[in-house]
Amino acid sequence: MYKAIFYKEWLKIRWALMIFLLLGVFALVNIFLNVRYGVRFMDAHDYWYRIIIQGSNYAASLKYIPLFAGLGLAIAQYFPEVLNQRIKLTFHLPIRENKVLLMQQGFGLAALIVLFLIYLAVFFIGSAIFFPSEVINMILVTIMPWFLGGLAAYSLVGLIMLEPLWLYRVLYAVIAYGFVSRFYIQAVPMAYSNMLWFFSLTAVLTVILVLFSGYRFRKGEMHHG
Amino acid sequence: MYAIECNNLTHYYGKKLVYENLNFKVEEGKILGLLGKNGAGKSTTINIMNGFLHPYAGECLIYGEDSKHLTPATKEKIGFLIEGHVQYAFMNVHQIEKFYSGCYKRWNSEPYWELLSKLQVTPNQKISRMSCGQRSQVALGLILAQDPQLLVLDDFSMGLDPGYRRLFIDYLREYAKANNKTVFVTSHIIQDMERLIDDLLIMDYNRILAQQPVDEFMTKFRQYNIILDNPDIPFPKNGLSVNVEQIRAKVSFYTYAERKEVEGYLNREGIPFKSIEEINMNLEDAFIGLTGKY
Repeated sequence: MYKAIFYKEWLKIRWALMIFLLLGVFALVNIFLNVRYGVRFMDAHDYWYRIIIQGSNYAASLKYIPLFAGLGLAIAQYFPEVLNQRIKLTFHLPIRENKVLLMQQGFGLAALIVLFLIYLAVFFIGSAIFFPSEVINMILVTIMPWFLGGLAAYSLVGLIMLEPLWLYRVLYAVIAYGFVSRFYIQAVPMAYSNMLWFFSLTAVLTVILVLFSGYRFRKGEMHHG
Repeated sequence: MYAIECNNLTHYYGKKLVYENLNFKVEEGKILGLLGKNGAGKSTTINIMNGFLHPYAGECLIYGEDSKHLTPATKEKIGFLIEGHVQYAFMNVHQIEKFYSGCYKRWNSEPYWELLSKLQVTPNQKISRMSCGQRSQVALGLILAQDPQLLVLDDFSMGLDPGYRRLFIDYLREYAKANNKTVFVTSHIIQDMERLIDDLLIMDYNRILAQQPVDEFMTKFRQYNIILDNPDIPFPKNGLSVNVEQIRAKVSFYTYAERKEVEGYLNREGIPFKSIEEINMNLEDAFIGLTGKY
């Protein structure tokens, strides 16, 4: 059963995953081409000064890519389920409804985490060419909330899309916007260093919210509007 | 134990009553057709039966289990065809077979490929790019391969041309009877349903109009065409009458009564008539006679 569910999820997200893999890697390569240009062809001393003293973030253009990846993957996964209420097919499978939702959500999150790990690997390799570990760590702490925001956005799209009533969807979307935008306020290095645990915790907690929309769907809330 | 047992099912949408105290049972091995016009409550019943809607009151038991909380073991016994033959349209015929074969223990792909061999589809053609008729065969093939004990088919005839409808019905009937399957089917297209169902349940807004074996219904429910002497006399809509349609002197009178009873009734009510003729009806005629044209 696990294999079958994961196979279905893979069929839904594989193209979105490829697109965001290419997009992210392209953005990172572009970032390091700019760094290389700054270090080699402009004044290297001035470039370092801007990063270390003035707090310029060389990875700033990466900011919204994890968010778009989270949104894109969730839409690729949940849009085919809500179109024509196909989620009924999924709920009708011989498996507990909450379990199948968590399996779907878990697969999507795992795929997203793998994608983000690839981004981070490329980020590390590129950064190691130009910067010492202190700078890399500093930038890593700075960009980490962007990735956590991508994970939270992924989970919240599931909650919104599976919700049977449009009014609730809009309400959730407004709340989700307010919540996720907290992850993207600052690009200044280390701005979130004391809050990282909070971001991590809240991002993880959003994962199970999809169960609530699933419950409302099975209760038939869409018929009561 | 019954395959399906709905007791005192009551449901509202907001303040609008769908039905009150609906009771019906489906014996194992029977094919029951739930027939009704659009909006009569067929899909509501299907949604309740499959756990996609909690009824306002009452209960629906599937193999003795409350449909609000069906266990995986019971869900495995039910093949569910969603209205419009909805399936995972982003898959092709091979991918969808591979997916479902991993979900069901009793999976037997033979009937699926047999049905698909009749279609002009390429192996990599996505379901989203198929015609409605082709999709219906894919959806039916998947249910047959699942080998469920109970097949729940919601408005399977929707969008099907006569050829596909006939193919679907004939294949389904043959399969169900050969394997002692229980079938619960809803439809608002009554044509061809006589070929499929054993028992019928005809619903109108808020109520059940008929609930009996098809043969019994077709024998007992009758239409008489009556030509009145005086077209200005309104025909009574009480007593033996189930439904009356009057166009001037010509009256179509629908009833469970025999001819002699009808004649006696007309005499007692003081309605002079020129002639009375019993009309042979098929199930569609009888359905319209019972539910009315509007």
